[in-house]
Amino acid sequence: LGAAGAGVLALGQMLPTKVALAARDAGLIDAAGDGYIHSMCEMCVWRCGLIAKVKDGRVVKLDGNPELPHSRGNLCPRGQSGLMNTYDPDRVLTPLIRAGKRGEGIFRQASWDEALDLVASNMSKIKDKYGAEAMVFSSTHNLSQPLFENLLYAFGSPNYGTQRSLCFNAMIVANLMTYGMEEPARIYNDELKYIILTGRNLLEAISTSETHDLSAVIDRGAKVVYLDPRFTKTASKATEWLPIKPGNDLAFHLALLNVIISEKLYKSSFVDQYTVGFDELKNEVSRYTPAWAAPLTGVPVETIVRIAHEFAAAAPHALAHNGWRTSNFVNSFHTQRAITILNALVGNWNVTMTAAAGEGAGLGAPSQPAYPRISALRLDGVPWKYPVVPFKIGVFQEMRDNIVTGDPYDAHGWFIARQNPVMSLPDRGKTLEAFGKMDFIVTTDIILNDTAWFSDVILPEASYLERYDPLVPVGNKAFIRQPVIEPQGEAKSALWIYKQLGERLGLGDFFQYTDEEDYIRQQLAPLGVSLEEVKAKGYAEMPEGESAGYTWNTPSGKIELYSDTLAKVGFPGVPTWEEPPQPKEDQFYLLTGKVAQSTQFGTQNNQLLHKYSDEPRLWMNAKTAAKLGLVTDDWVEVTSEVGQIHTKLLATQAIRPDCVYMTPGYGHLSKGLKTAYGVGASDSAVHVTHTDPISGGQALSQTFVTVKKA
Amino acid sequence: MKLNLTLPKFLRIGLLPAIVIALMGIAFVVAMVRYIFGIGAISDLSYSYPWGFWISFDLFTGVVISSGGFLMAGSVYILGIKEFKPLLRPSILTAFLGYIMVAIALLVDLGHPERIWYMMIHWNHTSVLLEIGICVMTYLTVLAIEFAPVIFEGLKWEKWAHLIHKFIMPFVILGVVLSTLHQSSLGSLLLIQPAKLHPLWWTPILPIMFFVSAISVGLAMIILESSLSSRYFKRGLETPLLEKLAKAIPVVLVLYGLLKFGELTVARELGLLFTSGTMSVLFWAEILIGVVAPIIWFSIRKNRLSPNGLLTGAVIVLVGMILNRFNVSWFAVKHPDPLFYVPTFMSNVKYFPTLPEVAVSIGIFSAGIMAFGLLAKYFPVFEDEHEMEELHQPSKGLQSLPSAADD
Amino acid sequence: MTEIKHHAFLFDATRCIDCRACMVACSVENNIAMDKTRIWVAGVGVKGEYPNLQRGTMVYHCMHCDHPDCMSACPVGAYTKADDGPVTYNPDLCIGCRYCMNACPFGVPHFDYDKGIIEGAFIDKCTFCPQRIYNGQEPACVQTCPTDALEYGDRTNLIAKAHARIAAHPDRYIDHVYGEFENGGTSYLILSHIPFSELGLPTLPETPVNEVSEKVMEMTIPFALGWGAVLTGVAAGVGLYNKKKEEKSALDEKAEAKK
Ligand SMILES: Nc1nc2c(c(=O)[nH]1)N[C@H]1C(S)=C(S)[C@@H](COP(=O)(O)OP(=O)(O)OC[C@H]3O[C@@H](n4cnc5c(=O)[nH]c(N)nc54)[C@H](O)[C@@H]3O)O[C@H]1N2
Ligand SMILES: Nc1nc2c(c(=O)[nH]1)N[C@H]1C(S)=C(S)[C@@H](COP(=O)(O)OP(=O)(O)OC[C@H]3O[C@@H](n4cnc5c(=O)[nH]c(N)nc54)[C@H](O)[C@@H]3O)O[C@H]1N2
Ligand code: SF4
Ligand code: SF4
Ligand code: SF4
Ligand code: SF4
Ligand code: SF4
Ligand SMILES: [Mo]
Repeated sequence: LGAAGAGVLALGQMLPTKVALAARDAGLIDAAGDGYIHSMCEMCVWRCGLIAKVKDGRVVKLDGNPELPHSRGNLCPRGQSGLMNTYDPDRVLTPLIRAGKRGEGIFRQASWDEALDLVASNMSKIKDKYGAEAMVFSSTHNLSQPLFENLLYAFGSPNYGTQRSLCFNAMIVANLMTYGMEEPARIYNDELKYIILTGRNLLEAISTSETHDLSAVIDRGAKVVYLDPRFTKTASKATEWLPIKPGNDLAFHLALLNVIISEKLYKSSFVDQYTVGFDELKNEVSRYTPAWAAPLTGVPVETIVRIAHEFAAAAPHALAHNGWRTSNFVNSFHTQRAITILNALVGNWNVTMTAAAGEGAGLGAPSQPAYPRISALRLDGVPWKYPVVPFKIGVFQEMRDNIVTGDPYDAHGWFIARQNPVMSLPDRGKTLEAFGKMDFIVTTDIILNDTAWFSDVILPEASYLERYDPLVPVGNKAFIRQPVIEPQGEAKSALWIYKQLGERLGLGDFFQYTDEEDYIRQQLAPLGVSLEEVKAKGYAEMPEGESAGYTWNTPSGKIELYSDTLAKVGFPGVPTWEEPPQPKEDQFYLLTGKVAQSTQFGTQNNQLLHKYSDEPRLWMNAKTAAKLGLVTDDWVEVTSEVGQIHTKLLATQAIRPDCVYMTPGYGHLSKGLKTAYGVGASDSAVHVTHTDPISGGQALSQTFVTVKKA
Repeated sequence: MKLNLTLPKFLRIGLLPAIVIALMGIAFVVAMVRYIFGIGAISDLSYSYPWGFWISFDLFTGVVISSGGFLMAGSVYILGIKEFKPLLRPSILTAFLGYIMVAIALLVDLGHPERIWYMMIHWNHTSVLLEIGICVMTYLTVLAIEFAPVIFEGLKWEKWAHLIHKFIMPFVILGVVLSTLHQSSLGSLLLIQPAKLHPLWWTPILPIMFFVSAISVGLAMIILESSLSSRYFKRGLETPLLEKLAKAIPVVLVLYGLLKFGELTVARELGLLFTSGTMSVLFWAEILIGVVAPIIWFSIRKNRLSPNGLLTGAVIVLVGMILNRFNVSWFAVKHPDPLFYVPTFMSNVKYFPTLPEVAVSIGIFSAGIMAFGLLAKYFPVFEDEHEMEELHQPSKGLQSLPSAADD
Repeated sequence: MTEIKHHAFLFDATRCIDCRACMVACSVENNIAMDKTRIWVAGVGVKGEYPNLQRGTMVYHCMHCDHPDCMSACPVGAYTKADDGPVTYNPDLCIGCRYCMNACPFGVPHFDYDKGIIEGAFIDKCTFCPQRIYNGQEPACVQTCPTDALEYGDRTNLIAKAHARIAAHPDRYIDHVYGEFENGGTSYLILSHIPFSELGLPTLPETPVNEVSEKVMEMTIPFALGWGAVLTGVAAGVGLYNKKKEEKSALDEKAEAKK
């Protein structure tokens, strides 16, 4: 994009106090306040290790930390730009209390005491009047989340919305049903020969280390088959790009299973020894011949057969990648099951994939009482409507919908932490409708994101460069996020905020730590390592957790090709074809997908990322555009059954003729984002809510739109 | 004193000076904006177009049309062709003003005008621009000296005028050398762009081409400016003299043509003559107007003898050769392709001069004309209207050599 | 890192995912204003017709030429070429003529068109991060590259490495290391799967583009002196000739008188 309000990074001066002292004790910075401090990126959930260069108490550069397996010395563009989030001129630096109507964006600054008291009293009021369940909570994965969960479960509400159902439910639940674990770790070693990526745009939706791994594997000459209706940057590096018809990945993978089983290309020794339900599977997939799949997927029969052969031949040094944001269609769960099973059949286990190291093992934690029993139904239909969806994962969009309908009961308050549901949930209008039903909304964020914009109280968290978070284990090390500069303004860490609220709500027992450092010391206790040591090194060694080997945490203890759990609740026990809905003649599939220069909905206001981002436009196949008489940069009107937006068009060869694509995270409503406001349009405004009945995942590619010149 | 009666008339065309002053005013304002807010504020110059209209017009054109000065000085003083003397002072004045205009324009175009003198102390001997800078600055001084007598006479400081006459010779020689150098070096300036300047124009002998064409332009300019002034100042036109110059032009241009096509042949680039699209067109326009047409025109005696014929011919030469300067410094220079660029502010790879840009040049240009008018009015520029033999006896030394003032 | 005699980059277009981490890194490391950049993406972008497509983009910054044209052109010598590679610019000498921008065949130097004389308008370009490379760190752009598309090291080693890569995957690369010889050799070496011109790189001879103009500049002084001498000679000659003529005519007059 063009130049933002051309500011230079050096914004004012600020001398270090507490942080500097701590860092100085740990020998990280000198008397002048200059030096290097190890910490962890939080521009996305991957959490790469970083080394912050500090000068006069200001962070001036971030470099990747070679010692952390998630970064290995590299940072992605978002990680590089991180300090601009911290120094964003639009940061919220004091608690804000709404002074105008909701959405007017008129707030007044308040003291922490006033803001926290107000929040606590409103929460208590709602609890007394309607019961704790009338207070709903939502938050997106972050290191202080356990404390947030303490807050809501101790408070007594079952209603907890996370980003997961908008993201990876299909993949997680499929893995749980098959392997009894959320997500097996992938192993990119020198033998890895063959990878099938199903819409995992790893070279744009970056996870620094895995992106590096994939790129290295490609460079080494491994074969990569990539399925995506768009010619993404990953597609351009893959050996083979299959512009598959959206939603029909299931057909493709079922056909692979069909070939591998009918031609006996699977590893029978492994299948016999470690799996259950092969016969059910065999007999189900026998219907799904390549000839059947070809017309559905748009992938030729011989290509499907060839890939099945190549994959089996390469096994066990082959990997069918599950993907991550697998929230595409209502049949995505079956797609994910098919993929996990594909890996199992050819015996990739413990070669290209294995059990992920158990999180948290070996670390201590402050002691706390048990949560109160919660009897109220969950608004998100878990488990009464979504029996196999784990509690901590939930079905966020369903919760939103039931808030709107008030069925089974009304909700009156919403606590949102480091999340932007106004943008991330489908059907923005409906989300705002749900907001409208609330007596009270409180948000913790670092900027005035769209959700904060519509909130009653905003609690400013210190940015990830300004605060401590609980230690996080990666492999056999526990890494630290520590402040590299003083929090600006009044911003405070989540650990502090939740403790303060907990105490005001009479839940102090759930927050038994004096301050952030004390919390981490309690975590370190069992390891017998000092905080100073960890601050200096950036991590603490942990005892090696022994690998699971060939046991799985499933009812049968084996890999479940056929899942009784599913069958019991009336779902097919083996992957089964579910016809995905299709657009009408004049409609397009509306695709979404990350770009390397922003994370979700929270970094578009980062001037450094803005500087190097492409202008967000609606991708349309050049031929189709020509047919419609549209050219690049025309303004177009995009209409779905729930909404309409106006945006500029990009006529490109890089997308299927029956699809259009929009970059998520633009079209912000909040005028508090001076850089991002007015840029692009929001796909969330037109996204229709469709939920995968099994995994509870939102179907983000199942929105069909018409496009015409505006 | 016919002059005094006629000259005011030139000024009495009240409208003209008024316009001229207005144009100067506009240029001044634009320049101020540029100094405060930067070059980008008033021009379309960009990352991909560092040089534009100012360089092509004010520098390249400005310098070449000022070449009459050294031609006349050289012919009259060095070659001793006294008969050309009536043309000497006007052409020196034109050159003098011309170079001042160039200097002023550069002060607008330079990012750090206040540092222009750095060229005098920080020398990078591989830089053609350095040579041009130094030549121009020095030559400006020489021109000032060559023109000074006119001023002194006007002020009736005959002693001073006389003094300069005595020592004029070394300066004249210096002037010719400096001119030869920078007239050709403007060509050398583009030698560093073999990858950017179209092969129809880029050649190692660019400096020679530039020098030769400068001669033809110089001659044409003298004709033009005598014709024009003779009209304004109602003075007789030195037709027989101009006829001689006009005769010389075809000779020079034939040489130029030979060099040009000779070079293309040697470089095996004749093919490009018709295969380069717009470039071919520009090339032929330049050759037909600037070379072929004048050669034919001035070979016809009738045209050389009629004032209109002379004027027309001169104009043709100038149009063609100025087009050449624009081609070499702008039109034929390749710039980045409109590729996919990030950040987007990189992707502006087009250039079209803005009005303010052109206004600056126009302002400076009209100031030049104004200055010529005034000087010609109050000082003995057209010496043939002056009688001043009595002024001084031939002195010793270079006595027998003609000097600017004696007659 | 092995000892580095000649600092250089190797860029592999087949590995670059156009993520722009290098660009953000440069802007932060060197505190570049939001509307300026020392490093950018250029190229044809998406190429071909659906579904047979290719991507062609490259990351651009100063090539740190072995015979820098910017340096050759700059009248006041604002550019310096270090023996170990980096080409750097000194704002204190710059007069803002922008001849370097014209001279650079890669269009690298940028100028502050948005700054007046009070603020001071300067040229900017990649410096090779001396503050990092002379302290044992990789340049900011290289260090952060998640795919190793950008590498840093000794020029000779990198050239060897580049050719090794081509040899290992002849099907993947055009058999040419751009910058090994172009413009007399550059310190930014480039491997590509599509024609270099489609990455926006100029087709250049092995001789530096400043060769001819530097030769001409060498001849200038001698020529000037020679030409000056000739002119003086001519002038004197003509002078003498005229004098003779006058004397002669004077004698003739006497003769006349005698009669
Ligand atoms: N249309 C569309 N919708 C999508 C997706 C899509 O691709 N397209 N992707 C889906 C996926 S995969 C996911 S994971 C979800 C993500 O959905 P969300 O988690 O709701 O979106 P984020 O932008 O990640 O929200 C993070 C918020 O945290 C704020 N923040 C940043 N740093 C801090 C901090 O240090 N403290 C606090 N308190 N707040 C902070 C940011 O400003 C931002 O508002 O969206 C889903 N929804
Ligand atoms: N730069 C950057 N990196 C990120 C994130 C970010 O926001 N920015 N977010 C992180 C998070 S939370 C997540 S979940 C991951 C997500 O990373 P990914 O799993 O790669 O998910 P997306 O990039 O949202 O979408 C990937 C591709 O799915 C394609 N697609 C859409 N519908 C279909 C379909 O029906 N079939 C197939 N085969 N493909 C389809 C889209 O065209 C898109 O290119 O990225 C993580 N990394
Ligand atoms: S992937 Fe990028 S944004 Fe995410 S943690 Fe790593 S560096 Fe930060
Ligand atoms: S690339 Fe351009 S700026 Fe860089 S050294 Fe070469 S000539 Fe100079
Ligand atoms: S702009 Fe500055 S650096 Fe560039 S050539 Fe002119 S003086 Fe030298
Ligand atoms: S070397 Fe340094 S200055 Fe040059 S592009 Fe890379 S980061 Fe920027
Ligand atoms: S960081 Fe590496 S991969 Fe990303 S754009 Fe720069 S060179 Fe390409
Ligand atoms: Mo996600």
